Amino acid sequence: MPALSSTMTEGKIVEWLKKPGDRVERGESVLVVESDKADMDVEAFQEGFLASVLLPSGGTAPVGETIGLIVETEAEIAAVQASAPAAPAMAAPVAPAPAEAPAPVAAAAPAAASAAPPAAVVMAVPAPVVTPVAGGRLVATPRARKLAAQLGVALESLRGSGPHGRIQAEDVERAAGQAASLPRVAEGTAPAVSAMPAPAGSANGSAAPAAVGKTFGNPGDTVAFNTLQAAVNRNMLASLAVPCFHVGYTISTDRLDAFAKTVKSKGVTMTALLAKAVGVVLARHPQVNASFSEAGMVYPPAINVAVAVAMDDGGLITPVLAAADRTDLYSLSRSWADLVARSRSKQLKPEEYSTGTFTLSNLGMYGVDRFDAILPPGTGAILAVAASRPAVVAGKDGSIAVKRQMQVNLTADHRVIYGTHAAAFLKDLAQLIETAPESLAL
Amino acid sequence: MTSALDAILFEPPLPVPFDQAWAWQRQLQARLLRDPDGPEALLLLQHPPCYTLGRGASEGFLRFDPADPPAPLFRIDRGGEVTHHLPGQLVAYPVLALQRHGGDLHLYLRDLEGAVLEVLAALGLQGERQKGLTGVWLEGRKVAAIGVSARRWISQHGLALNVTCPLEGFSAIVPCGLRGHGVTRLSDWCPGITTAMVQILLCQALARRFGLGLRPPKPTELPWR
Repeated sequence: MPALSSTMTEGKIVEWLKKPGDRVERGESVLVVESDKADMDVEAFQEGFLASVLLPSGGTAPVGETIGLIVETEAEIAAVQASAPAAPAMAAPVAPAPAEAPAPVAAAAPAAASAAPPAAVVMAVPAPVVTPVAGGRLVATPRARKLAAQLGVALESLRGSGPHGRIQAEDVERAAGQAASLPRVAEGTAPAVSAMPAPAGSANGSAAPAAVGKTFGNPGDTVAFNTLQAAVNRNMLASLAVPCFHVGYTISTDRLDAFAKTVKSKGVTMTALLAKAVGVVLARHPQVNASFSEAGMVYPPAINVAVAVAMDDGGLITPVLAAADRTDLYSLSRSWADLVARSRSKQLKPEEYSTGTFTLSNLGMYGVDRFDAILPPGTGAILAVAASRPAVVAGKDGSIAVKRQMQVNLTADHRVIYGTHAAAFLKDLAQLIETAPESLAL
Repeated sequence: MTSALDAILFEPPLPVPFDQAWAWQRQLQARLLRDPDGPEALLLLQHPPCYTLGRGASEGFLRFDPADPPAPLFRIDRGGEVTHHLPGQLVAYPVLALQRHGGDLHLYLRDLEGAVLEVLAALGLQGERQKGLTGVWLEGRKVAAIGVSARRWISQHGLALNVTCPLEGFSAIVPCGLRGHGVTRLSDWCPGITTAMVQILLCQALARRFGLGLRPPKPTELPWR
């Protein structure tokens, strides 16, 4: 029985992975030993045959006890099997390593730690952020108090979910039997919503954005970040180490808008159209799909377009349309609808939100005329798409026309993507959207 | 002062199905087996509801039919009896080369407990160990469960700390096979606490205890790529 710890006195055999007679390679797991809440695969020191199991699965033995015998040749098996049951402790005649280990089958001894003992990393633990409600004093937000009075809920009976146990309006609603609103994708983030209007100019507020700005707390509150918000914080902070720059472009969308109308009934959304357009153009501009690593510029094997989606309960997630350049528009639209539905229930798998090679962020539905985005870690560029709005445009020939135009703004990591790369990519994207959006359906 | 050990930190922002996180650990373990000088890793995440049984665990501690579990049931290669995972519970899976950390499985279990105790202390709570029972307790109720396994001294599995998770699902089992011990969660002691807050504390406590210099994964190190 091998010692898995200096404090281990006995161990239990959970399972023999080999049967008597089985061949055993050097380093191969022979059995599993359990001690306390820890299991260890025990491996053979040298090759041979497991001749005999002296302690079956489920058995417990003191450290150092012989639990099985390994022999060098197949011929020796029979001899051991004949003698071993009679003299279980007699490992010597056939044990491959009689001198050193009491048990022929022993765990690889803990190698002397070659590195120095674990370094004590100096890192301050933040002071306690949370303390239980002090002295039984009832703390509730004004809105919670008002709601409690309206709904006839006794505040004393509630456990507050706010900071320091403060009772929030949601706690009152929950107690009153009103369903707490489920996390879902923000209505306003239209790329997330499959029935998305074309990035129509809605600067005058005719579209659907909520009447009141989104908030996660009430005046006077300090609201802790949720897991998703904390994850976004980490990513945003990481971007500070990246030398980013921005390149903008104005794209006319009359033709794209017209095409979007014709395919809307087939379930095609503007998000899918934009993702497809970006994917197709990235295929011709691999540099803009590349990212930085210490080893050099990384060219991903596929073009995966991630699209930022705000979550109603805070944070955002970037579901990925994989191989956007090669997937047809209708499949992309269906994938997007599925990804959004599962974003709502937080059932996306990591590969579905972390494998983007290029990111799209669209605030067009709010009438935003321009913005820039922060680069997600591990990628080289992100495109911020603003609203498409009618504009008076002068042509090269001096003609004047009213066209719908949107501004896009590329944020890129200058270590990989240079101004000329960004410019060429944007020019191609504009040309595709302005002159041949129908080709996206091919 | 020796420099910190290179270690990859994975913190997926959404719950990860148990079998997927398990596959990642085996992948990271296999990497470290192939390249004994390679980086260690720490997975910090939450699971959708599920139950897991240690390798030698008894189904007698299930209060449901194993053929028809209320949530997915996995029989896995770690020590210990049955446990329950669900959102609101933080799990930490260190994939460490334990020779770099003393080469002692019991010491490793005590270190995991120690990291949880540090987190509790930072929250103004005094957690306890119970002699002979691996885990961390608050006034006699279990707040963190621990179960690990190792292959050639490379660890898998780890600890589960209840933060805000509902506790009803634990009544379908006898957690860790211990009758007469309740379970608890941090939000019953620190109202308003979130998993995100505890995640930061737990990450720091594990990094300090094991001397890890944690860094995000490089694109080639993502187990799902």
